[in-house]
Amino acid sequence: MSVTVAPHDFRFVKFDAQVVQRVGDELLVTLGIDRPLHVEIDETTPLGRVRATVNPDGIVVNVESGAFEDSKRPREQSETATAVSLGRILLRTRDRLQGGFGEAPVDDELSLRQMAAWETYSAGRLTRLGLTVNQQRWRYNFRNRHGFTDVADAAFERIWAADGLTWTELEAISSSV
Amino acid sequence: MRKFFPVEELARDERFSQITMRQSQADPRNPLVGEQAGKRPKTNRLTPDRADASDAARSLMHGIFVGEIQALEGAGRMCHDFEAGTGLSSDTVPFALKLDMARQAWDEARHVEISVKLSEWMGSEIGQYAENTVLFEVACSNDPVLRLAGVNRALEGLAIDVFTTMKEFGDLAGDPYLEFCEDWMLADEVTHVKMGSDWLRRITENDPERRKKALEFQSVVDKIFSFGGTRSDSRESPIGLARRFRELAGFTDTEVEDIAAVSLAALDERKAFSNSSMHDGAEPVSVA
Repeated sequence: MSVTVAPHDFRFVKFDAQVVQRVGDELLVTLGIDRPLHVEIDETTPLGRVRATVNPDGIVVNVESGAFEDSKRPREQSETATAVSLGRILLRTRDRLQGGFGEAPVDDELSLRQMAAWETYSAGRLTRLGLTVNQQRWRYNFRNRHGFTDVADAAFERIWAADGLTWTELEAISSSV
Repeated sequence: MRKFFPVEELARDERFSQITMRQSQADPRNPLVGEQAGKRPKTNRLTPDRADASDAARSLMHGIFVGEIQALEGAGRMCHDFEAGTGLSSDTVPFALKLDMARQAWDEARHVEISVKLSEWMGSEIGQYAENTVLFEVACSNDPVLRLAGVNRALEGLAIDVFTTMKEFGDLAGDPYLEFCEDWMLADEVTHVKMGSDWLRRITENDPERRKKALEFQSVVDKIFSFGGTRSDSRESPIGLARRFRELAGFTDTEVEDIAAVSLAALDERKAFSNSSMHDGAEPVSVA
């Protein structure tokens, strides 16, 4: 499946478009996504937001440069960060495409709690696919949105370990906290 | 043991990656300008309702951790680099000042340990983020009075602002450990600033020229520590100016207003720099 990246040459960061392309290719195969992927990187901001839209030509992912950055070496690319950031958004996109998530709000309308729950669900699955993910990072994010309680931690563990959830099931676990 | 230790030779293991202030400020990217800036919230203050709150807090926590290491190193050097004496010349300090700096080093060592625990709690690893070495660099002056101004008043003053922001973050997020730890460390920082203010006044009591030079140095450091607008009264800055705690630490109203003005100027300069960088037709950077 084809992966395209823009820009090809970078002015503000030391990124390699070919690395993004290769990582994207591998993820499409691993996740079983059979649509073309275009990755558009905004290198003018160090922030790390990642968004996706699906159109008839394929999946378009818009990335702020911080999402692919090596936090040890500012402006340089981290292959791990590239894979995890792309993997999270592609899993969320796959959830929407495969069904069971038809009732989920569009990304811009997801609440912080809903987003934290879905991110937990994605990060847990990426771990089981062999990607390097710091579970405590996502537990802390989940706690910030659901509270620093044992009940919230139990909900996190359920979502982290889950596969094949629907939006209704994911939302129910998140709302139960 | 060697005196006046260079920043390049600070002891760090392979987990750490250090950058200079020059490298940090050379980054032309800025969330406050560019095509997407107008679509983002007008505030960048670090609060839990930010979408990236958890990651931003983790990054700041790591900054606190490496800052505490450098503050420990700076206070330790202050004890060691100068002989005990009257403090009237730049090669001696009163013995009681050395004792205060030893107490501060003890506090900073405790803060390092607390910061490591908090970083683990938040999901970070030691050395996960680049370490900016500017904090230690301002602790390398040959005159101990300049170190008091740069480290105890400017650096520790920044620590007051940072800890206040993090304490509020922990409080709003309901994170009991973060809120509690930041509150206790904040209390120490207020004491450190107060010690610096008191010693600066005592040592330079009869030397107005030396005091003026020290306060000018503090002003320069305060501007550097505004990190291009990272700390100011503006909601565009992630870290606010903790006016009340600065008063408790011995800053006068005029001094607080001066720092507020310098910080806002740094924010404006940073925005102007980033705007110009984005329109200067810069060549693409090469990929190694």
